[in-house]
Amino acid sequence: MSEKELLSGNEAIARGAWEAGCAFGSGYPGTPSSEILPALTELGDCYTEWSVNEKCALEAAAGASLAGARSLVTMKHVGLNVAADPLFTLSYTGVKGGLVIVSADDPSMHSSQNEQDNRHYARAAKLPMLEPSTSQEALDFARLAFELSEHFDTPVLLRVTTRLSHSDGVVVVGERDLESAVCVPEAEPAKYVMVPAHAHKRHVVMAERIASLREYAEATDINHREDGDGCMGIISSGIAYQYAREVCPQASFLKLGMTWPLPEKLIGEFAVGVEKLYVIEELDPYLTEQVRALGVAVEPLPESLQIGELSPARVRAALEGKDAPFHPQAELPLRPPQLCAGCPHRGVFVALRKLKLFVTGDIGCYTLGALPPLQALHTCLCMGAGVGQVHGINQACGEKQSAVAVIGDGTFIHSGISGLVNIAYNNSPSTIIILDNGTTAMTGGQDHPATGRTLRGEAGGKLDLVALCKGIGIAHVETIDPRDLEQTEAAIKAAVESNEPSVLIASHPCVLLSRERGQPYAIDEESCVQCGACLRLGCPAITSHEISDGSRQPVIDPLICIGCSLCAQVCPKDAIAPGGEAQ
Amino acid sequence: MTTNVLLAGVGGQGTITASQVLAQACLLEGWQVKKSEIHGMSQRGGSVVSHVRFSADGEIYSPTIPAGEADLLIGFELIETLRALPATKPDGKVIVDPRRITPATVSLGVADYPEDSLEQLEKSGRAVYVVHASEVAAALGEIRAANIVVLGAASRLLPFTQASLEEAIRLSIKPKTVAINLRALAEGAELVAAEKA
Repeated sequence: MSEKELLSGNEAIARGAWEAGCAFGSGYPGTPSSEILPALTELGDCYTEWSVNEKCALEAAAGASLAGARSLVTMKHVGLNVAADPLFTLSYTGVKGGLVIVSADDPSMHSSQNEQDNRHYARAAKLPMLEPSTSQEALDFARLAFELSEHFDTPVLLRVTTRLSHSDGVVVVGERDLESAVCVPEAEPAKYVMVPAHAHKRHVVMAERIASLREYAEATDINHREDGDGCMGIISSGIAYQYAREVCPQASFLKLGMTWPLPEKLIGEFAVGVEKLYVIEELDPYLTEQVRALGVAVEPLPESLQIGELSPARVRAALEGKDAPFHPQAELPLRPPQLCAGCPHRGVFVALRKLKLFVTGDIGCYTLGALPPLQALHTCLCMGAGVGQVHGINQACGEKQSAVAVIGDGTFIHSGISGLVNIAYNNSPSTIIILDNGTTAMTGGQDHPATGRTLRGEAGGKLDLVALCKGIGIAHVETIDPRDLEQTEAAIKAAVESNEPSVLIASHPCVLLSRERGQPYAIDEESCVQCGACLRLGCPAITSHEISDGSRQPVIDPLICIGCSLCAQVCPKDAIAPGGEAQ
Repeated sequence: MTTNVLLAGVGGQGTITASQVLAQACLLEGWQVKKSEIHGMSQRGGSVVSHVRFSADGEIYSPTIPAGEADLLIGFELIETLRALPATKPDGKVIVDPRRITPATVSLGVADYPEDSLEQLEKSGRAVYVVHASEVAAALGEIRAANIVVLGAASRLLPFTQASLEEAIRLSIKPKTVAINLRALAEGAELVAAEKA
């Protein structure tokens, strides 16, 4: 009997992979992809892991595939940049067990540094790509992706977006009715050793595979027509199809579940049967340009549609020929996210702000240190980039250190270590502050090598941050308590003045995970002079209200305060002390 | 016919949990349902909006509610409710807990919390139901159950059976807080007089 469940797109992908006999799952957490591997782990019968980064994850899965295991790799869009090196050549070698790579893109950058459109990767690496548009399709396409991968001997890209990953829908789930055939691989150098002589031949094989995939794209029912009144024809895929379907119930649709390679004949035939042809897609004109390259006329749409996530309203406006820009609303006071009350990162940023240093950073909760009132983080490029940038700045500016880098413990292990080796090797007068909160906080608190626990809750080899830094040649390594402002400031000052490669490890557990709860602090309004020092911590527990003379009286919300004491440490009048009622 | 329910609050208030309960109840009723939210930074005190769309008899396409088509807006905080108001039908309904959570921009003095937020809601033409859910939850001894109190109030305006909402709470909420949330649901339902058919 088939059973119905309410599943997010991510959970449905995990379910589809599990049903298809997936035996190996790897990935690196990144919004909006992070929930896939935990869901697969929960389903069981499958080895799963958080890998150190996306490149490690894809390479591990490539190995598992070589041993015949159906393998799933998950990452966010920018993660695929990290994994791009093995990706392009995997297209040459092909697979043994099915290999499915999930790229979860983030239009509108709900939690990302860019909104790159990873559909281009399919075309560039010549990999078949499936794009589900509902949770049910996420399950069905994940299953199908494994079949295609093995049938056509190629990795398959399963491309989703935030709106699919994080939307729930009703899904008919099935059984795990397939199993991987795992065995120790036999040597096949012509297929797996990509030296020029072999790779030349494999490139020819790829061309033949693409020709077969083109035929498949014409025949598969995941690319299908939904005939309407014939006036307006819409080609669409993924979540954009749902928006278009919502606002144009009368239109004829060519719904594409496979968006590389494209079913060129099907597109041509569809175009002939409609008066006006539109392509509705999110982000880049990826489909539009390919359809136009077939000589098919596509109605122009406002270019503003290419920026930000789509919505039914934006699609409707665009089809009516109106400009459809993506506008975050701004009339009401904005409520930007903040570092949590008691967040251990805050102390480091307060000290950095006081020392007026230029601070390079990257991706994590700590990127919030860039926002007012802390404003003590000045770059965010990609994972690990701050460690490279600080070295470049300090070398370019001369011998005296002028910049420091901050990086989270998880991010440091993901892609900061190479940058630190570079600093040590090149004698860079640079200080790296590792914000060690013992977790991958930003994406929901996943474990990583320095926590010593694996995705499956088992003990893993525990990375020792101090020993690692010393081992790569950094002599100046110090562990500090970011809750102690005086010590933190002094340690940063000393490290910067030492003018040598240095690492400070600011260690304190993430409060979201530890659920740490001390006695709340309170402000004695008699002694308070409304100087605003506590408000400039950007702590969600401290709010203010206007008092008669126009100044603002801060107050601490005892429900939110966890008693970290930072506000008491910055108060020049000693007006803040434990005193709130503990919750 | 599709019913569109939009939930708006601040990260940490349980907006997403409340929408999870609603969507689960839809599944238990045997309806089609789609739910959508963005939860990247939702635990860090930012604005949170969740969309729930359900239909007893037809297909639902977009997982998000088209602008201006929400039948019911469930607001857990005043300005977040006001922020989501344009997404609501001009003759839609609004259930709001009139509590205020001061955004950092206001605390720092760079923006003002609109004093007339509730008035603006009431003047918007929608039927507004004010429910002091946080106070009810505090009296129950669990301020974090305020989201379910509001949901209880909203249940009077929605076609769910009490049984499916209760079962959805059992399925969606940590076992040790189920009992208090079931009480929160019941007390919330007392706050709004049942709609006449």
